[in-house]
Amino acid sequence: MKPNPYEAIPAVLLETVDETPLIRTLRIKPDRPVPFQTGQFIELSLPGVGEGPFTPSSSHFVTETMDVTVMKAGFLTDHIHKAKPGDRVGLRGPYGSSYPLAEFEGQDVLILGGGCGLAPLRSLFLTLLDEIEKYRSITFFAGAKTPQDCPYKEAFPAWRKHPRVRLVRAVDSVPPGEAWDEEVGVVTVLLGKLDIDPKSSPAVVCGPPVMMKFGTRDLLRLGFREDRIYLSMEKKMYCGIGQCRHCVMGEYYVCKHGPVFTYAQIKNEEGIWD
Amino acid sequence: MFYWTSLPFFRTFFQKGVRLLIHADDLLAFLRRCLNERIGPYREVYLPVKPDDHDSSAATLAPLREDSRPILDGYRAIDPVKLLLYGVRERVAPFDRESPAALLAGVKACDIKALEILDRALINDDFVDPAYRSWRDRTTVLSFDCTDAALTCHCTLVGGKPYAETGFDANAARFGDHFFLSAGTSKGKALLDLIRKHVRVDATHDKIPAAVEARRAEMTARVEAQNAAFERPEDYDHLKASSAEAWKEESRECVGCGACTHICPTCYCLILNDESRAANFIKVRSYDSCQWNGYARVASGASPRPRMDERFRHRYLCKLVFMKKEFGSLGCTGCGRCTEACPGGIDFRSAVRRLMETPPISRPAAGVG
Repeated sequence: MKPNPYEAIPAVLLETVDETPLIRTLRIKPDRPVPFQTGQFIELSLPGVGEGPFTPSSSHFVTETMDVTVMKAGFLTDHIHKAKPGDRVGLRGPYGSSYPLAEFEGQDVLILGGGCGLAPLRSLFLTLLDEIEKYRSITFFAGAKTPQDCPYKEAFPAWRKHPRVRLVRAVDSVPPGEAWDEEVGVVTVLLGKLDIDPKSSPAVVCGPPVMMKFGTRDLLRLGFREDRIYLSMEKKMYCGIGQCRHCVMGEYYVCKHGPVFTYAQIKNEEGIWD
Repeated sequence: MFYWTSLPFFRTFFQKGVRLLIHADDLLAFLRRCLNERIGPYREVYLPVKPDDHDSSAATLAPLREDSRPILDGYRAIDPVKLLLYGVRERVAPFDRESPAALLAGVKACDIKALEILDRALINDDFVDPAYRSWRDRTTVLSFDCTDAALTCHCTLVGGKPYAETGFDANAARFGDHFFLSAGTSKGKALLDLIRKHVRVDATHDKIPAAVEARRAEMTARVEAQNAAFERPEDYDHLKASSAEAWKEESRECVGCGACTHICPTCYCLILNDESRAANFIKVRSYDSCQWNGYARVASGASPRPRMDERFRHRYLCKLVFMKKEFGSLGCTGCGRCTEACPGGIDFRSAVRRLMETPPISRPAAGVG
């Protein structure tokens, strides 16, 4: 007898961290472990409110708890931001495809992301860090609108100290009164500082659609291969299991065949950036 | 598609002793006795019934009651079979409902085909919808040959016939005043055995009588004739290359109500509502419609199909291209309900015909150009 695919695994909210005025990270502890592969997503439900797809932002080697970074964007996420430690939430999943870590081994890995798109990338980054000896280097280009919109502020200094990690941040603009001594400009301008070989390196991209579109364009111009650009797509993954059809993108279900696609896979599908 | 029953050996095997002829009145009486005298396992019988207040050949699916006026043959009911087996609104988690066996009679070939698609979509290696499976397991489906056609019927345009050859538990074919019954599954055989035990059976046959074949051919010709103006193309891939202007023109009268998808026997798009109380997680699934603006819109407000003509196009592509690719058969079974239900008077067949005739355009590359 197959388990009921609609049934949620109960979990408890342990703590929350306010990353930015709009982004909050929740640390949750499922009643039973929910092992996942980095890049996969879960359906997080708030009892009586609703359910939505989110990518864990913690390393997949951490199994006792799971971090989920949520941006306030609508009804459900407003309520998620109001949740308090001790509250019960539900999990379904994990669902979908993951980042192909085996293909990253021995490589210079580029991670390019912006805004709340940094959530799955944090998971990827931390997972790579846990086995850093397997990878030649990690270049992490992270973008945000303004300094105060940068998530994971506390963690960046420590991440940056790692010898095999090159971490560069850019913000679109610096409003008066905010301090910032890093790059200014859209995140894709950082690609001008790239010091790895585009022809052989994998690149992982996640962020707002417009950032993903122009990020992909610039990566292709630099010489990255279409089948080595990994995109974390976002569509309305309502059920997570290829049933509700909301996330259909041409012949793919984003929830089932994605959310991680290579650009080569989906470049001919309609509406990928919408 | 390969069916075991297409092999002569299996055909003989299936036919042996499981085909019988009973009077139409006796069959209906038997269905009533199932309920009144608790014959057999069926505690509920669903079938197409005439409306209470007027005589009409249009029937709706309903539970059989003392005063209901069933139409077992005729043409398909107004509402599709999915309405029963895949409810508009059903609690799916936790799911522990144990319901008694039911008999679903009067289903037509277009709905039988739809069930084959729903079976593939809702009961497969990756996924089993517990509520649908429960309905499916406990329900015996007795299909009936069409003896009439609605103006919108067009099963023959999409590779179908106005009678089912596979996919039913048991099938009833009109044979004068009688029905010629045959079983397709063990559930159907159990039904026929029960009928033979309780009803006077006029004859058993080991093959389909020539008169049934002749009436089927006649009915098929009638559906073909009323669709003579429409093509039956090899595939509908051309639709992908129809211009945005053509789609805008076809969807001009579309108000985006979603009636077409709700009444379509193969549409199963769902939303999952969380209706939890306290610590218990309760999930309720209900129908959604790709014709609605919020369907594919994400929280940020982005949507791959913000315009009505884009959503209209999506439905046609889903039915005629995507589902074909995914399930091996068209998502349209030719029941014509979407045309019948459309308040804008859009005829699915006519729209497809015109769109298939538009010169192809090369759509701009989707990627980064």
